[in-house]
Amino acid sequence: MVKISTNRKRTLAFVLLGWVLLIISDRVGELRQYQGSFVAMYALAIASIILLTGYSGQLSLGHSALMAVGAYAGALSINNLKLHPALALIVAALIAGIFGLLLGFTVARLSGPYLAGTTLALAVSLPTVANQFPILGGEQGIIFDIGTPPSRFGEDFSQYKWFFWISALAALITIWMLSNLLASRYGRVFRALRDNSVAAQLSGINVGRLKAIAFSISSGIAGLAGGLLVMLISGVSPSAFPLSLSFALLTGAVVTGVYNLKGVMLGGLVLVAIPEIAESVVSRIGGSEGFTTTLPGFMVSALLILAVLFTPNGPGQLLHHHKKKH
Amino acid sequence: MLEFFTAVLTSLSTGAIYALMSTALVLVWRSTRVINFAQAGQAVLSTYIGYEVTTRSGSYWIGFIGAVLSGAIIGAGIDRFFMRPIFKRVKSGPIVMIAPVVATLGLLGIIQAIVGFVWGLNYLTIAAPVSTEGLKVFGSVIAFSPFNLMVLISVTLSMILLTILFQKTNLGLALRASAYSPEIAKLSGIKVEAIRTIGWALAGAAGGLAGMLYVPGSYLYPNSMEVLLVFGFIAAVIGGLDSLFGAVAGAMILGFAINFSTTYISYKLVFPTAFVILILVLLIKPGGVFSSKKGRKD
Repeated sequence: MVKISTNRKRTLAFVLLGWVLLIISDRVGELRQYQGSFVAMYALAIASIILLTGYSGQLSLGHSALMAVGAYAGALSINNLKLHPALALIVAALIAGIFGLLLGFTVARLSGPYLAGTTLALAVSLPTVANQFPILGGEQGIIFDIGTPPSRFGEDFSQYKWFFWISALAALITIWMLSNLLASRYGRVFRALRDNSVAAQLSGINVGRLKAIAFSISSGIAGLAGGLLVMLISGVSPSAFPLSLSFALLTGAVVTGVYNLKGVMLGGLVLVAIPEIAESVVSRIGGSEGFTTTLPGFMVSALLILAVLFTPNGPGQLLHHHKKKH
Repeated sequence: MLEFFTAVLTSLSTGAIYALMSTALVLVWRSTRVINFAQAGQAVLSTYIGYEVTTRSGSYWIGFIGAVLSGAIIGAGIDRFFMRPIFKRVKSGPIVMIAPVVATLGLLGIIQAIVGFVWGLNYLTIAAPVSTEGLKVFGSVIAFSPFNLMVLISVTLSMILLTILFQKTNLGLALRASAYSPEIAKLSGIKVEAIRTIGWALAGAAGGLAGMLYVPGSYLYPNSMEVLLVFGFIAAVIGGLDSLFGAVAGAMILGFAINFSTTYISYKLVFPTAFVILILVLLIKPGGVFSSKKGRKD
């Protein structure tokens, strides 16, 4: 009885949030709509990190590569299979999820640093590999065109608003599904894995298999976020998925608290705000080309270290650190 | 036949550079139980210092010493002033397992940003002290230069020195004891934390050495060591992460596999080969090819 009501509350909260976002999207300019769609996309990607790191205790440095897998899968299915863009985004999530499952059964089942290193290898080698397959379009990449908004929305419904609607809706639905999953038996099992994998094993949980499954779901969500990212920049190329993207996602997750799914929007906001802040700093004090291009990376990394040092368990820790969460 | 011979020689010299990186990772892993992703940053920073010294002094060898020394100092400094406070601060919560690793990642980003800020993002190169033209064998030029030979000799020498340090000196004994069992080492009077800092210094020096040997045949830019970090990690995994011998052997296996697949099948296979080897090792023998007994578990 209690459980049903919390589920309903959650659903209601998501519907309400979607409604608020819709209203907001009507009242802000195109730049804010565009930035808003990036916030939604990053929030989704951070949610995938939170599932993996906060709930199964694993660390991935290759979520940029998994996003790329989803992005290429989505682009190919639009360009070559002529799929509907909505279907293409689902394909992006599915292919990345399957890829993650294969990788998960190899690596994510192992404890220790193996997943982190293997995903790092993936993220570093992916651009080179993508350059070598003509079907992936090399350095230029391939286009990812989701088309103009349907005419029934009216004449003045801009492309940016359309981007925002798609990103926000995809993020809301996926994160709603994820929070339901984490509130279910599986969520408890994942937490058990993270907190004490030996005890989890003793109580009959197949640790390796569940870690692989968590990694696979996380990859699928990352793939969807990758599809959204290349939708926003209208094309997929290796340079859209640098290793620094993985670091940025990790920073977003650590800053919001690595087991706090509610904070993902804050994480997305931070990631969108950092380049903006860097730009305004540079325009104010000026600087060399090296300074301009390295400042955002510096800020992301510094934020990551500060967050690990001072609020390792999320900003919520500062508010009530005497209470033990979960 | 000549092709085969050349492939063997180039495998040895590329494997040698991977070996430095995997040794650096293993040295830190043994003492700290962290894969030090900042190693790529440390190596690139000390190589930039080596570049600066080389251009100012006009001598590769002074730059070489500068890179190795600064690598050691940077490594020790990072352990003492960065890792130690993190281990002290982050003690509870689910992030405690990953906090040190995440911190090394943040450090990597910061070092790369600083290097890009100070030296710019251009591709630099360091002139090799000996010729990088291929040697002539029986009238035909092969893809193995005197510089490759120098790489091979330098790495062999440093490995011999490292082995002597570990097997024949008291410091080596302390290093091994602290890696094997920090608690017992502490009880027998070894200053485990100081010893750990020395391990980090050795690893940093190996990174600087790797950079000075890698860059003349390639380019120097803020991200140029990421690839070496990946290959070093794969080599360390092949060797079982815990063993220095395994790290070197793993690097040689990787060097041979990559060079032979690119010589005989396709030049495109550098990363796919490395990745397939990594996956195979993790599937079949995740403890490493050379592990006979079960290592310490975490």
